Amino acid sequence: MVEIHPDHTFIPTLRDNLNNPNHLSNWEGFKLAYQAAKINTVPNFDGLLALEHLPHVQFLDHQIEAAERVIHQMNGRAILADEVGLGKTLEAGLILKEYMIRGIARKILILTPASLVNQWVQELNDKFYIQAASPRKKQAAWSDWDVTVTSIDMAKREAHRQEILSIPYDFIIIDEAHKLKNHQTKNYQFVQELKKTYCLLLTATPIQNKLSDLFNLVSILKPGYLGNLTDFKKKYRYEANKQGNIEHIHSLVGKMMIRNRRKDTGLDDSKRIVVNERLKFTEEEQKMYQELELLKSDHPSFTWLTLAKELCSSREACYMSLNQMRQQSNEQTMAVYSKFIEQLQQLPHHVKAKRMIELISETNEKFIVFTEYRATQFYLQWYLQQHGISSVPFSGKFNKSKRDWMKQLFKNQAQVLIATEAGGEGINLQFCHHMINYDLPWNPMRLEQRIGRIHRFGQEHDVKIYNFAIENTIEDHIMKMLYEKIEMFKNAVGDLDHILEQIPGGSFDKQIQTIIDQSDSKGEIDIKLNNLVSYVEHSISERRETS
Amino acid sequence: MTLNPYFDFVHQFFTSYGCAILEKSESHLKVQLTSSMDEEIMNRPFYWHYMKKMNRPGDPMQLLFTNTSHSKEGGIYLHAGTPKLHTIYRAAIKKGKTARLYEAVVQPLENRALCPWLVVNIHLHYRGKQSKDETLSLGLNLVHGTLLPNMMDRLWKMEFEPTVSDYTFPMTPLINLENAYKRIERYVEGYVSSISDEWATLSLKHLQEEKVLLESFYSSEDIGLEQFTKEQEQIATRYSPRILMEAVNGGLFYISQKSNSYVINNLAAD
Repeated sequence: MVEIHPDHTFIPTLRDNLNNPNHLSNWEGFKLAYQAAKINTVPNFDGLLALEHLPHVQFLDHQIEAAERVIHQMNGRAILADEVGLGKTLEAGLILKEYMIRGIARKILILTPASLVNQWVQELNDKFYIQAASPRKKQAAWSDWDVTVTSIDMAKREAHRQEILSIPYDFIIIDEAHKLKNHQTKNYQFVQELKKTYCLLLTATPIQNKLSDLFNLVSILKPGYLGNLTDFKKKYRYEANKQGNIEHIHSLVGKMMIRNRRKDTGLDDSKRIVVNERLKFTEEEQKMYQELELLKSDHPSFTWLTLAKELCSSREACYMSLNQMRQQSNEQTMAVYSKFIEQLQQLPHHVKAKRMIELISETNEKFIVFTEYRATQFYLQWYLQQHGISSVPFSGKFNKSKRDWMKQLFKNQAQVLIATEAGGEGINLQFCHHMINYDLPWNPMRLEQRIGRIHRFGQEHDVKIYNFAIENTIEDHIMKMLYEKIEMFKNAVGDLDHILEQIPGGSFDKQIQTIIDQSDSKGEIDIKLNNLVSYVEHSISERRETS
Repeated sequence: MTLNPYFDFVHQFFTSYGCAILEKSESHLKVQLTSSMDEEIMNRPFYWHYMKKMNRPGDPMQLLFTNTSHSKEGGIYLHAGTPKLHTIYRAAIKKGKTARLYEAVVQPLENRALCPWLVVNIHLHYRGKQSKDETLSLGLNLVHGTLLPNMMDRLWKMEFEPTVSDYTFPMTPLINLENAYKRIERYVEGYVSSISDEWATLSLKHLQEEKVLLESFYSSEDIGLEQFTKEQEQIATRYSPRILMEAVNGGLFYISQKSNSYVINNLAAD
C-alpha cells in the first residue's frame, strides 16, 4: 500500500570508494556518521521538535498551540490572523522551523513588504537559526538560495518573475497578506501562480472591508473552497440574514484560519495607562485662538479649522500655513495675515511644549512624542535641546537605513523620539514605554497604530500614554467626543478597524472633517459627532453579539 | 559522560578527526581545529582559497562549546538546534559514508578466514499527512546470506581496522553488492508491511477527501483546468503516503569466524 522510494545512489558510491581507499572511513568515523544520523532523526509523528531546537526563545502558549494546529490539523496551509502584537511572525517561524527539521521544507520563499525584509532575515537568523538570503538589485540567485526573503514587488518584476514561478517551493509565507484582498491585482495573480506545497498567510486584519476579502485569501490556500466569487457574493448578500448561512461560512473559514485575540491570550499583563491631559491656553494664546475664528466669515471653514488645529500644536506650525497664505494673497487680505503673524511672534512658548518638558524631566525614562506637524517636530527638538534633553526625529518618509539608524540612536543614546507618523508597519520600540500624543489624530485607528509601536508582544512594562488637548478648543472637542466615548483606550481594539472603514459615506477622517466643515455652530458639531459616535458604538455591540 | 549527549558527540567527533582538545571540563570544551577541519566546517572558503593561493599555511580557528545557555566564557551552547552542531552532523556523515574494515585480530586463530558482511544504515523518511524518520541498521552476510537487524549495536564494541590483521585473510563474497543491496531493500519492504500502517491509512483517507473536494470544485467550474492540475499535484505531495529510503552510510565488514557466531547470536556483543 505504501510506496517506497529506494535509494539507488548508494551502491555506485560504495563501489567507487572501494576502488579509491582514500575515500573510505575508519571504524570510528563510520560509527560517528551513524550516531550523527541517529541523533538527528525525527522520531515521532506528533509534537513540535522545533521547541527543543530553539531553547533560547520563550514561546507563549497560544503561539505553540497555533503552530501545532497548523501542522497537525490544517496540514500546513493556513491564515494566521492574530491581532496586532501577538507574535504572528514567531508563530510562522516556529511552523517553518518544524517543517525544516522534519525535512519536508527545503525550498522556501517569504514575501513581505519591502520595509520588513531585513527584519525578517534578522529574526529568522537570530531566533530560528535559519539563514535566509534577500536579493539586491543585480544579485539574485533564486534557484540556488534555499530560503529567500523578498517583496512581492521585487519578485514579480520581469527579470525574476519567470524564474520564481518555475521553482516548486515547499513552503511560502506571505506577510501582511491583507494587501492581497483584491483578486484583480497583479500581485494577487502572481501569488496564485506560485508553486507551493505549504503556505501561510499572515495578517492582523483578514477582513478589511468585505467578506470577499477573506474569500480571496482562502482562495490562495484552497481554490474553490468557498465556491467562486460571484456565487459567494450572491449567497452572502441575499442570505446574510439567515443565521445558518453565516455559521456555515464561519465553520469553513475556521478550518483554515487561526485568530488569537489579545483578551484570550492573557497577554494583558502589560497594561495601558492612559492619561488625558487637558491643558489651558495662556491668555494671549486664547485671545489669538478666538481671533482666528474671525476668518470663518470670509474664508472656507476648512482654512479656519487648519489654522486652529495648528495653533493648538505650535506657533511654528501655524506660522507655516499663515505665511503660505500670505504669499498667495492679494494686497487687501495680506494685512490680515501679516497681523496674525505678528501676533504669533508675540506668543510665549507653547503650553503643551512646557507640559511635555515637565513630564519628561520627571524621570529618566525614554519617551516617544507624536505630533502631526513637521514644524512642531522641529520646534520640539529645539525646545528639548534647550532643556538639555537629547532627542532624535523620526518620520515614515525616512528611508530604511535612516530609520534603522534613528531607532538605534533612540535605543542607545537619546531620551526622546519625536515622530510625525506612526512610521509605517513593523517598527518596534518595545524598549520604550512612555508615549506622549502631543497632537491627536482624527482617526482613532491611527492612534491605535501609534500605541501599537510600544504596546505589543514583548513589552514587559506597563505602558503609559499621555494625550494632550487644550481646553475650549477644537482639540478638546475631538477628545471628548471621540476618544472618551469610543472606549478605545480600555480595550485594545480588535474590531474597531473594520467598523471605522465601513461607515457609509466615506472614511472616518472625512466624516469628521465634513461635520466640522458644514456645521454653523458648536452645538451642531456636538450633535453630529454624537450621532457618529453612537453609530460606531452600535456597530461594535452588534458585532460582539453576533460573534 | 555528561548529561548532554551532544556534548559527548562533539568531543568524540573532534578527537577522532585529530583536533587537539585544549581544555575540557564538565561544562565546556575548547578545541583547536586542524586546517582541513576548519575548511570543512567553518564556512570560510574565501579565506582558504586565498591562503592556498599565497602558499601560506593559514590559521585554523579554535572553537569553544558549552553545556549551558548561561556560560560566563561565552562559547557555542550545544542543544538540539545548534547550527554548528548540524554542520558537524553533515561533516560526520559525509566523512563516514563508506568503509571497508577488517576485524582486528590479535592472536592467530585456527580459522584465519574473515567473512564479508555488507552493513548498511538506513533512514526511512515517512511522508504524508504526517512525517517522521526511523533508522535501521542492517547487515547481510555475503557468503551465506544471513540478514541481521540492529547491526551497529552488535558490532559496536568490536575493533576494526582499515587493513587486514596479520595471519588472517578476507574471503571473497559470493553475493555481489548489487544483489546484496536488493535483498536489503526487500527486507525493508517486508519490515514496512509488518508495522502498523495506521498513519498511511489516515493519510490516504485525507488524500481521497481532498481529491473529491477538488474534483467537485472543478466540475462545478469554480476553478479552471490549470489550477485544478496544479492543486492536484500539490495535494498528492502533501498527502500521498510514501517512504523515502536513504542509505546514510555503509560498507564491507570482514569478521572472524569466532566473532561471527557471536554477532549472530547476541544482540550486542559485549
